[in-house]
Amino acid sequence: MSEAKKIQRPLPRPDIYAKTQPFWEAANQGRFLLQYCQDSGKYQWFPRSGSVHSGKRNIEWREASGRGTVYSWTLSVAPWPGHEDRVPYICAYVELEEGVRVVANLFNVKPEEVRIGMPVKLFWERLSPEFNYPAFEPA
Amino acid sequence: MAKKKDIAIVGYGETPVVLRSGRSSYDLATEVLEQVLNQTGIDKSEIDGIAVSETMSETSNPFWAVFLAEHLGLQTSWTQINGLGGASTIAGIARAAAAIRDGQCRTVLVVASDAQSSYPATEQGGQRWEFQYPVGLRGPTGVFGALMQRYQHQYGLKYEALAKLAVTQRKHALLNPNATAKLKRPLTEQEYLDSKFVSTPLRVLDSVMVCDGANGVLVTSAENAKRLGLKKAVYPVGYGEISNYKVDDLLADITESGFTVAGPRALAQAELTPADIRMFQPYDDFLIAILLQLEQIGFCERGQGSDFILNTDFSFNGKLPLNTGGGQISAGQPGLAGGGLNLVEAVRQMFGDGGERQVDDPRNAMVTGIGVIPYGKNWSVSNVLILEQ
Repeated sequence: MSEAKKIQRPLPRPDIYAKTQPFWEAANQGRFLLQYCQDSGKYQWFPRSGSVHSGKRNIEWREASGRGTVYSWTLSVAPWPGHEDRVPYICAYVELEEGVRVVANLFNVKPEEVRIGMPVKLFWERLSPEFNYPAFEPA
Repeated sequence: MAKKKDIAIVGYGETPVVLRSGRSSYDLATEVLEQVLNQTGIDKSEIDGIAVSETMSETSNPFWAVFLAEHLGLQTSWTQINGLGGASTIAGIARAAAAIRDGQCRTVLVVASDAQSSYPATEQGGQRWEFQYPVGLRGPTGVFGALMQRYQHQYGLKYEALAKLAVTQRKHALLNPNATAKLKRPLTEQEYLDSKFVSTPLRVLDSVMVCDGANGVLVTSAENAKRLGLKKAVYPVGYGEISNYKVDDLLADITESGFTVAGPRALAQAELTPADIRMFQPYDDFLIAILLQLEQIGFCERGQGSDFILNTDFSFNGKLPLNTGGGQISAGQPGLAGGGLNLVEAVRQMFGDGGERQVDDPRNAMVTGIGVIPYGKNWSVSNVLILEQ
């Protein structure tokens, strides 16, 4: 019997549910963009088609600081399909200075060193020839 | 809304929960309908409404509700589908009650059926393709691992309390003929504590095992139940539901859910307090969800869940009987029909059909639902249903 076909780590699919191409283009230049609601003066993440704050479409992309803290985290022992080669890996909820929470991997830190409240900064993972993917590392 | 007893649940059905049964969700639902008809003695032509839960195994089928009704041989004047995950079934009861009161239909089959372990779902899309799947955060286990980690940080979490829940529910499952055979062996608290981590600090025995199965109830007006000569009835007297709690507070506390609103709302409508609740049949995808519901519905103070659990006897013959059929964690989760599992157990108990695990004086029950995993938040849907005899 042949081996089951190996599932590859999933890659982002831009512009499927919302227009996210500007985010990925900036990511490839090392810039992390968030959507900013011009009506409420608040940021949002994940990207949407309108503002989660106002319900309207007066949103624009703005570059974020990339600085934040760990809100919570988990060491993934059982992987999501396509991540089998990476286990165990750290998934965290990172709160950015701009007031949003980002689900991201943590790099350059051991699981036993991760603390809630720990300062982190942006770390770009080169996921494929097409994608820089946002992650974080200790600041 | 004031307390009413004008709507009744007059019958129930449930298939055994089976891992990889190879049966379809249509086949499983047919068994539920047959049980309901046999139990109530009514003709299927009396059923003129159907509320169906979305499934995993029929995820790609936009015609699931109507096809199922056709498969079951039901002509309906009210057809409704709930995509609220594990909150769908009790949501279906609330919607059926409204439709019956509005005169759109008279007798509704509220049914959930899923063969998820035989026919796994395609994925659920949306933002996850870009912002979750590449990260590898496994939902729901990864999300609940992060939730437990945060709860532990804010309040402290006693794992022996979760172990007690695991053992209590397993004891109940051993007395439930419909519980999955895969989990039919005694469990000790130490086995829980020794079970492997899936996504720290969440362990294998914190989690459900996905299986196949179906369940449902028959809902009609109290008046029509009398016309049909139905003797057994329980009454939905309180309901609360919240989806996307604090959706636009992007830094909302992930340990806090819509139960803080839905619980008090259901209790107020039923004119009851948590101390009045005779049995608690909460949605249990993970043990931590039970602890959080106990706090947020108001059985104990926020942050006191561990001690409340350690100080309360949750056995079927204890102070606050909890998931007396074993819950999804020990009876098996019949996919997205899991939201009906603990509901049917509540109705069964209140009909006096609990067998070896019968709760004494089953005058009321609280049943809950949890549905859908959002991005970086608590769960998406919280709902609470209170039943009275």
